[in-house]
Amino acid sequence: MSEDRARILGMLAEGRITATEAETLLDALQSPTPESAATPTTPATDWPTGPSAGKAPKFMYVKVTGKDTVDVKIPLALLRAGLKLTSLIPPQAMSQISDSMDEHGMSIDFNNLKPDDIEDIIASLSEMEVNVASKEGDNVRVFCA
Amino acid sequence: MTMILPPLVIDVRVRERDARGFRIWFPLVLLWPLLFVIVGFALIVSMLVDIALFFAGAKYHHYTLLLIRSMRLLAEVRGTRAYVNNATSLVDVKII
Repeated sequence: MSEDRARILGMLAEGRITATEAETLLDALQSPTPESAATPTTPATDWPTGPSAGKAPKFMYVKVTGKDTVDVKIPLALLRAGLKLTSLIPPQAMSQISDSMDEHGMSIDFNNLKPDDIEDIIASLSEMEVNVASKEGDNVRVFCA
Repeated sequence: MTMILPPLVIDVRVRERDARGFRIWFPLVLLWPLLFVIVGFALIVSMLVDIALFFAGAKYHHYTLLLIRSMRLLAEVRGTRAYVNNATSLVDVKII
């Protein structure tokens, strides 16, 4: 029995969580690939190697290889929810955000983002791929799949 | 329509090259009751504020929607993973 499963069952036995919550947690544990607690492996081995052609992407992947290994997986639903949230930010706060972004060289006016634009941006991400190779041997890849 | 739930578990593993690492495995589901109480209270307050702003003629009266969308943003964090492995340390964060 894995350490995670044992903990969940322990919490259930102690009455800290209900049987339904335990079932939900156990289901959540089964969805990702199981890994040893002592030796976390590079998650990128199980991740897609490039953009999903034709299929709607679900995650944005950032992979850095070289001296350091960095693997980041971000749900595109999070990006979609974030973009939708920007349309509801109070105008005073939004102007401060825009000013601050301007100062850092990012002139993006979120007020102009419409719901249709957001869907178009997400859809077009399926074809996006960024590859950067540095002189030091580091390689950065960004894509959605 | 699928139900969107807040994150269930956060799993953080940190290991230094020459030291014993640690792992924090925390079932966020335990915080859900507290979250629901706080969000419920905040929803009531934001609705009252929106109603007051609406009758006062303010252009912006969407604090309730802002709160709901913020909760949606929190829920969509599920599935995020960050893994960093360099010469000195290893950090692996999973939100399930």
